[in-house]
Amino acid sequence: MGFLGPWFLGGLVALGLPVYIHLLRRQVTVPRPFSSLMFFERGIQSSTRHRRLRYLLLFALRLALLLLLILAFANPFFRRANAGASGKLLLVVVDNSFSMRAGTRFADAKQGALKLLAAKPLSQRAQVIAFGHEPQVLTLPIQDMGGLRSALQGIEPSDSYGSFGELGRGIRAIAESTQTPIELHLFSDMQKSDMPANFADMVLPPKVTLVLHPVVKTSGQAPPPNWTVESIEAPAQLPDPKDLKRSHVQAVIAGYGTPAATRTVSLVINGKVTATRSVDVPANGRATVQFQPIDVPYGFSRCEVRINAADGFAADDAGVFAVQRSDPERVLLVHSSSDPRSALYFGDALAAAAESSFVLQVIGAEQTADVDPSKYAFVVLSDAITLPSIFENSLVQYVRGGGNVLVAAGTSAAHHARIPVFGENVLDAHDYSHDGGFAKVGQIDSTYPAMSESNEAAVESNDASGGAAAKDATGWSDLKFYYAVAVDPAHSRVVARLMDGTPLLLDKQIGEGHVLLLASGLDNLTNDLPLHPVFVSFVDHAARYLSGSGRLSGSRVVDSFVQLRTAAASPGNQSMNVDVIDPDGHRPLSLSEARSIQSFQLTRAGFYQVRFSNGRDAVLGVNPDRRESDLEPIPEDVLQLWSGAADSSSQAPAQPADAASGERKNPADGIWWYIMILALIAAVAESIVASGYLGTQREEA
Amino acid sequence: MMQRFLDPAVLAGISSLDLLAKTVVDGFVAGLHRSPDFGFSQEFAEYRAYTPGDDLRHIDWNLFARTERMYLKRYRGETNSQLTILLDASNSMNFSSATDGSVQPSKMDYARFTAASLFYLAIHNQRDAAGLIVFDDEVRNYIAPSTRQGQLHRLLAGLEQAEPRARTDFSKPLLHFQRLLQRRGIVIIISDFYEDPESIVKTIEPLRFHGNEVVLFHVLDPKEVRPEFRGPAILVDLETDQRLEVIPEYTRNDYRRKVDAHIEQLGDRARASGMDYHLLVTDQPLDETLREYLSIRKGGK
Repeated sequence: MGFLGPWFLGGLVALGLPVYIHLLRRQVTVPRPFSSLMFFERGIQSSTRHRRLRYLLLFALRLALLLLLILAFANPFFRRANAGASGKLLLVVVDNSFSMRAGTRFADAKQGALKLLAAKPLSQRAQVIAFGHEPQVLTLPIQDMGGLRSALQGIEPSDSYGSFGELGRGIRAIAESTQTPIELHLFSDMQKSDMPANFADMVLPPKVTLVLHPVVKTSGQAPPPNWTVESIEAPAQLPDPKDLKRSHVQAVIAGYGTPAATRTVSLVINGKVTATRSVDVPANGRATVQFQPIDVPYGFSRCEVRINAADGFAADDAGVFAVQRSDPERVLLVHSSSDPRSALYFGDALAAAAESSFVLQVIGAEQTADVDPSKYAFVVLSDAITLPSIFENSLVQYVRGGGNVLVAAGTSAAHHARIPVFGENVLDAHDYSHDGGFAKVGQIDSTYPAMSESNEAAVESNDASGGAAAKDATGWSDLKFYYAVAVDPAHSRVVARLMDGTPLLLDKQIGEGHVLLLASGLDNLTNDLPLHPVFVSFVDHAARYLSGSGRLSGSRVVDSFVQLRTAAASPGNQSMNVDVIDPDGHRPLSLSEARSIQSFQLTRAGFYQVRFSNGRDAVLGVNPDRRESDLEPIPEDVLQLWSGAADSSSQAPAQPADAASGERKNPADGIWWYIMILALIAAVAESIVASGYLGTQREEA
Repeated sequence: MMQRFLDPAVLAGISSLDLLAKTVVDGFVAGLHRSPDFGFSQEFAEYRAYTPGDDLRHIDWNLFARTERMYLKRYRGETNSQLTILLDASNSMNFSSATDGSVQPSKMDYARFTAASLFYLAIHNQRDAAGLIVFDDEVRNYIAPSTRQGQLHRLLAGLEQAEPRARTDFSKPLLHFQRLLQRRGIVIIISDFYEDPESIVKTIEPLRFHGNEVVLFHVLDPKEVRPEFRGPAILVDLETDQRLEVIPEYTRNDYRRKVDAHIEQLGDRARASGMDYHLLVTDQPLDETLREYLSIRKGGK
């Protein structure tokens, strides 16, 4: 126990005040006149005893009140460490991230955790937590050794990326809901790449004592060399394997802590090695290997790039991806009679995109009466504001069922009150060229799929188009828009705006499908968008977004989400069940989840087979986060800083932390609040007793 | 409604004894009209034939005019009584249990009210001679009984000047009483009688032997009869300055028993000696004392 404000203890002098009042100050009794004492007799002893008893009670209450007030101001505190080890909650955290698969790391961590549990006092409560992408609490705080042991033994290594930031966040949440001090034992390989960008994210609350149990040497020894397939660039769809322009796979082989070496890289398609290359990987560097062409059969092919005979961390020696070979999908472009140029520009851009596997079919708006839009990957309405009603209805049904439409509102839209399919009214038409000027793009939502940059994630760039599409979205700022219609954006997502705030690109979800509205034309009359390279990138991204091919194949990262349906299932919405088959061939979704789930987290590495709500199938290759391949541990000084034991070795053995370091780390728990409550009770009691005494005196007077 | 003016707490607010006595007696007499027992104005008695030597002023000339015979009209004669009040002005009469905010009169005030009311009733209503003797351990003031003009004011002034002091001693002023009370009448002694009942009665008995109607008005404060102490207290005797520490247990039990015995013994002893005894507690109305006086007056007629 200690005092945070010991100077207030000087107030103990005030305790002399009640002593003076009750003991030193003579009690004065006022004599009361009476007619005659002839009938009275003396009675001294009884009265004196009575008075002393009452005074002592009041005296004690006043002393207690003053003492409690002084103590409260002195702010006493207790250190919880004094409660003993059994009063602490023991958290056993085992890292089961992907890197723990290397060597015997995971087995060592488990063994160490079991030893710790065996050494813990029987009365101490403990909790087992597995720590991968996020902390996974496996038990409640219990004393049952059997339950804790079985929970510990049930932990399996995962393919997730470990994040100490997420661990810190989870432990902080546990600490907030727990009153007792926490002793956290972390069994991990202490990967440097698992650290968050901000060290403060992994700092633990003061009441948590962190004891680190690294399963690898963190100082004085270089990490084991490790080669890995860092990234794979491959087409998600391949219409023609002989098209050398698209039929190629490019893989980046990276080495962490490795000497310069020659590695053999193989391309495995559907379980068969189809090609082998030797590549010279520089020391601690990267090398690119390319396979061309790739011969895949129709349908989905499960492909893998594998490094042969690489190192001790075999789990990251391969990268998987899926390629779908199919005939080019057809795209319908409907244009008005006054707009002959849009088809030219849009068609060229679609053909120029590296990933393009579409065939554009162009017809006039007046010829669409008997066209069935469901045969097309997506539909483009270029300034085709006036449509046959039967085709417009077909389009609406097409969108509701999961189809997508791109609407470009050219000059014809100014004469109509409503945009077809999109369903919103035209508020105004801005003709910027009328004033001899133009409008530029002022705001872009780069998170939108059709506007995303192709180089946003190198590790999954095999599903990106690369090449011509790899233009950044900032290219939009150079565009000049001479004409744009203003549409009510109330029910839409505004992807881009002009400088004057006019929505330029809007996305509206209707049923299962989306309608993308460009508030200007696709020709070079209303804007100069078709004349800029960004147009090719936009068309490529938009085509893959609208056709949905971007999500049908390719590869993902473990713990990423795949969107299974665009809207929540409702009783009136007759959407199909979704289906997911994990790499082990199991169906992780229950029937009710299959009817309602919107997204699914890919927690395992391997191939997932997915059926979306619109009935389309996909195969996804899921790879672990490649940051897990960098096995370099956190520097010793950083670990010491984290555990708060910079002056002593953090390489704690598999036993609870010593009490001394725990006491220094544990917080002081102030108890002034309880003392103030006691003081309040003493004050009330003093008032009652004192008022009773004074009341008697008044009556006697 | 007038009865409320007999309440001592109300009377304590009246500073003038004259007004106080008038208020009390008028209120009391107004209350008497309901009673047929009291009526003692001059009454016709009989006619008697005139005999030489009779006072011609008593001849009923109206009857002579009708009958031509002279008759004397005779009335029932009235005798004027003499009221003498012996007022104890010792220090113990100064006791009052009044606390802050209450208007309970002291025993001396109550005695003054009583005496003033009796004087007013005697002089103003009954045409009696009235006198006052104020005493403690000796006679401090004497106003001879008289029916002269201004007698009431003299008596009231005597009451006003009667401030309590010294201690009670009946034996010493008794000789003066006997010397001063030559004529028989009504003697009212107003005191708290803090002495042995036997000695009190023995001292006062000679007045009775002289043919006086003696009445003892024993004035006590309610807190003297039933004192209430919640805690131990130090009491000071008003007459002797003696200090005594007392406890509530004794006051609640033994003291009350002793006081009750004292009152009972004094009353019994007084009545045995042919004297009337009345206990006046200072929170009681004054009509009891007035009624007592009138009853004596009627009985002695």
